Amino acid sequence: METYIEASVILLLLTDIALFGTSRLYTCITIAAVQGVLLGLIALFANAETFIPRIIVIASIGIVIKAFVFPYLLKRTIRQAGVQREIQPFIGYLSSLVVSLVLFGVSIWFSAKLPLALGAGRSMIIPAAIMTMFTGLFLIVARRKALTQCIGYIVCENGMYLFGMVAVGEIPALVELGILLDAVAAVTVMGVAMYHINREFDHIDTDRLSSLKG
Amino acid sequence: MIGHENLLWIMLILPLCTGAVAATMPAARKALAVMCTGILLTAGFGWWSVVHVVCHGTLFAASDWLFLDALSAYNLAIMLLVFSLCACYAYVYFSCELRRGQLTLRQARLFTALFSGSFSTMALVLIANNLSIMWVSLEATTLVTTFLIYLHSSRQSLEAMWKYLIICSVGMAFAFMGTLLAAAAAVKGGSVEGAQALLWTHLVGRASLCDPMLMKAAFIFLLIGYGTKAGLAPMHNWLPDAHSQAPAPVSALFSGFMLSASLYCIMRYLPIVSSAIGSPRWATNLLILFGIVSLLVAAAFIIFQHDVKRLFAYSSVEHMGIIALGLGLGNAGVFTALFHTLNHSLGKTLAFFSAGRLGQIFKTTDMGQMRGVMRISRVWGFGLFISVLALIGAAPFSIFMSEFQTVKAALDAGNVTAAVLFLFGAGIVFMGVLAHLIPVFWARNESDVSLVTTGLLEKFLVFFPGVLLLFLGIWMPDFLHGAIDRAAAIILSGGN
Repeated sequence: METYIEASVILLLLTDIALFGTSRLYTCITIAAVQGVLLGLIALFANAETFIPRIIVIASIGIVIKAFVFPYLLKRTIRQAGVQREIQPFIGYLSSLVVSLVLFGVSIWFSAKLPLALGAGRSMIIPAAIMTMFTGLFLIVARRKALTQCIGYIVCENGMYLFGMVAVGEIPALVELGILLDAVAAVTVMGVAMYHINREFDHIDTDRLSSLKG
Repeated sequence: MIGHENLLWIMLILPLCTGAVAATMPAARKALAVMCTGILLTAGFGWWSVVHVVCHGTLFAASDWLFLDALSAYNLAIMLLVFSLCACYAYVYFSCELRRGQLTLRQARLFTALFSGSFSTMALVLIANNLSIMWVSLEATTLVTTFLIYLHSSRQSLEAMWKYLIICSVGMAFAFMGTLLAAAAAVKGGSVEGAQALLWTHLVGRASLCDPMLMKAAFIFLLIGYGTKAGLAPMHNWLPDAHSQAPAPVSALFSGFMLSASLYCIMRYLPIVSSAIGSPRWATNLLILFGIVSLLVAAAFIIFQHDVKRLFAYSSVEHMGIIALGLGLGNAGVFTALFHTLNHSLGKTLAFFSAGRLGQIFKTTDMGQMRGVMRISRVWGFGLFISVLALIGAAPFSIFMSEFQTVKAALDAGNVTAAVLFLFGAGIVFMGVLAHLIPVFWARNESDVSLVTTGLLEKFLVFFPGVLLLFLGIWMPDFLHGAIDRAAAIILSGGN
C-alpha cells in the first residue's frame, strides 16, 4: 500500500506544478478534479488494512463531490461567462513555474519544522499537502479571473484535507461531513456570485472590480 | 416543560424553520414580520438558556457536542441583543424601502431566509463544544451572509460581495489549518482519542500535554484566519467595502456581532495555547501587536473617509483592535475586552441604524451631502450623535469606561508603549470622526430634504441602546460584573 500512497502523492505534486503553468480554465478544472480523486485514493490506501466502512464512505463522498460536482458547477460558469483562458495573469506562466519550485522548497522546509507524529513512509505527504495549499493560495493571489480564484480555493481546501488526514488521523465523521458541506456551499455560492458578476459586468476579471477604494 | 438541554437545539432549529416559513410568505411585509417574530421568539429561548447558565452553571447537550458556559453565554447574550434589535430595525428599514418600491418580494424573501439562517449559524459558533464544528459554523456564517451584501443588485455591492467572499474564505482556510494543527498538537501529546478529538471541554483540561511547537504554529494560523473575519488589520480589506455596501441592518449585524463572533473563536483557544506553551506571554504579545496595528491603521484611514458607513466600518477595525489589545494585556485587560465587546456591539448597532435611516432620508451616505441631520430627523440625528460620541470614547458612555480601563490595564501590565500608542490612535480617531461629523449634525442644509416623523418602534430602537450605553458607563450592575468575571476566568485559565 505504501507504494500506492507514494505514487499518488507524487502525482499530486505534479498536478500542483501543472496548475502553476496552465492557462486553459477547462484544464485547470480537470486538474483540480484529478486532485480530488487522488486525495480520495490516498485516504482509501492509508486505511486499506483496517477497512473502516465510515472512512470508505466519506472518502467516496469526497471523490464524488470533488471529481463530479465541482467540475460540473465550474464548467457551467465557464459556459455562462464564455471565457476560455486566463489571459495575462499578474505573474506570467514561466515566472509562476519558478515560484512553484521556490514554494516547493518552502513547503519541505516548513514540514521539516513541524514536529508531527507520522507513520513510516508518510514523510512526503505533509510537504505535498502544504505545497497543495500554497498552490491554491497562489492561484487566488496571482490570477485575474474569479473562476481561477475559485479553483484556487478548492485546491487550497484539498491541501488542508490531506494535511488533516495525515496529521490528525481520525476526525469524527460528523465534522468531516460538515467540512465537505461547507466546501460545496462555498463553491456553489462562488458560482452564483460569478454568474451575477458576469451578468452585470460582462467579464469575471477581479482586478477590474476596483471602484471601492480607501 | 422543555428540558434545558433542548434550549440549545431550539436556538439552532427554530430560526431555520421561521426563516423557511418567511421565505414562502406572499407579501414582503409579512415575510419580514414572520422573520422578526421568529428571531424574537428564539431570542426568548436564548435568554432562558443564558439565565440558566448564570444560575446553574454550564449547560450541555447532544452528548457534550453542544455546550453553553459562562464565556459563550456572555457572548450569546450580546448576540441575542444585537439580533433582536437588528430584526426590528430591518422591519423599519425595509418598510421604508417597500413604500418607495425599492425592495421586491424576491429580495425580501431572500433577506428573511438568510438573516434567520445567519442566526442559527452564529448561535452554533457560540454553542459548539467541538472546535472544528465551531470553524464549520463560522465558515457557514460567511456563506450565508454573502448574498445579504448583494441584496440590492448594484455593481459596487457585487464587488464588495466578491471581496468579502474570497478574502474571508481564504481567512477561514487559514483558521482551518490552525484548527488541524491544534488537533495535531493534541494527538501528538496523546491528550485526545477518537471521538473526543477537539472537544473544547476535553482539550482544555489536557492542554499542557499538547505539543507546544505545533500549538504555536496553530495559533499563528488561527489568529490570522479568525483575525481576517474579525477585521483585524492588515487583513481588514474586505470590511469597509462589505459594511458600506450592505443594507444597514446587515452592516449593523456584521459590526455588531459577526466580528465579535470571530474574536470569540480566538478567545476559546487562548487558555489552550497558554497552557500548552506553559506561559500566556507568547500568544498575548501577538494579540497586542495585531491590536495596536489595527488601531493605528483604522485611525489613519478614518481621516480620509467620505462615506459615513465606511467611516463606521473603519471604526469597527479600531474597536476590534482594542478588544484584541485588551485580550493581550491579560487579567484586567481580558475583563475590559469582554466589557468592550458589549459596549462596541451596542454603539455600533445604533451607529449603523442611524446611518442607514438617515441614508434613506437623504438618499446618500456621503457625508458631504448629509448636512444638518439634527434638523431633518431629531430621533435618528440624536441616535447618530449619541452613537458617535460613544464610539469615539467620550465620557460618560460605557465605551469611555472600557477604553479607560484598557489604558489602565496596559499601565498595570507595565506596557507603556501599548498605552501610549493606544492613546495616540484613539486621539486621532476622536478628532478625525468629530471633524467629519460636526457639519453632518449642525451645518445648514440646502437640499430639499424635509423634516421626517418617526414611529414608536424607531424611537425605541434609538433610545434603548443609547440609554444602555449611558447606563453602563455610569454604573455596572453586580450580575453583569460577575458574568464578565466568570467569562474572563475561562479565557485566562480555562475556568479552573
